[in-house]
Amino acid sequence: MNKKLLFPLLIAVLAAIFASQNPDGLDKVSEMLGFAHKGVEHPAIMAGYNLPFLGASKLSAILAGIAGVMLTYGIFMLGLYLARKHSMPRGESRQTS
Amino acid sequence: MHIPDGFLDPKMSGGLLGLAAGVLGYCLGQVMRAVTAVVPKQVLATVGNSLGNIQMAGKRALTKFGEEKVYQMATVAAWIFAAQMFNFPINSGTSGHLIGGVFAAVIVGPFGGTVVIATVLLIQSLFFADGGLMSLGANIINMAVIGSFVSYYVYAGLKKLIPEMASISIAAWFSVVAASLATSLEIGFSGTIGLPAVTSAMVKTHCIIGIAEAVITVVILKLYKGAKNNE
Repeated sequence: MNKKLLFPLLIAVLAAIFASQNPDGLDKVSEMLGFAHKGVEHPAIMAGYNLPFLGASKLSAILAGIAGVMLTYGIFMLGLYLARKHSMPRGESRQTS
Repeated sequence: MHIPDGFLDPKMSGGLLGLAAGVLGYCLGQVMRAVTAVVPKQVLATVGNSLGNIQMAGKRALTKFGEEKVYQMATVAAWIFAAQMFNFPINSGTSGHLIGGVFAAVIVGPFGGTVVIATVLLIQSLFFADGGLMSLGANIINMAVIGSFVSYYVYAGLKKLIPEMASISIAAWFSVVAASLATSLEIGFSGTIGLPAVTSAMVKTHCIIGIAEAVITVVILKLYKGAKNNE
């Protein structure tokens, strides 16, 4: 496991367990002023920071948090992979960009 | 402060999607320039054939420094994703969470910071339904462009006058309050709710959340640097 992700993973796990369930600033304002009902949530695989097949439990939130940290790190690794592919061609076929 | 779909009218969210795409494209371009270098023609003229990459001459290639920079951006983004999950209670049944724009920009610069926050927002919206898809442009403008890019220059300007940690704190506070003001204007001008009502409620709440942003930014910057040294 990548050591750089130790802290983010720890923070995500702690957040999944201990984070406040109160609405955040914007959500609270929308409730107070009566326009919260106008918000529409689109379908997403981990909507509400829970895994689809585990429902809304602490374990589900922990795993969703871990998945989010990995996804976030992973998207940059994908960018790095693509940049490398275009930077260090081993053969003519890869020299596209 | 993630705006869900439905709070903004289509003209507002569409316009901001376009604006966000433009600014983000520019920032991404600046990051690409920073992590690559033009391969000199002369070098390749002599060693190119043996390396089999003579066609790279005059093109931009990833540098060693660039690789490290991308790893750094990835790590910072992971930290911010995690930290944003941590809602802390503030007054009267309300919670707040870090944006991390100043944290990101202090470590990876204003262009990198904008790309990092926008990436976190994209993942939150796509996979977690945290922030709408149509309102993603607005959220990128508010939290990445204002919260990271603009706030970086608040930090950079203040740093010339006052100690670094104080400028980071003030910039972090500013980032949240400025982002909440932008959010209010977008919602207000969409006709969702009266502009003065939403502005005063949002800015008041976020003046408090901003204090937490300042404290957490300073703390996690220290943690981040500490973790780096341990590697």
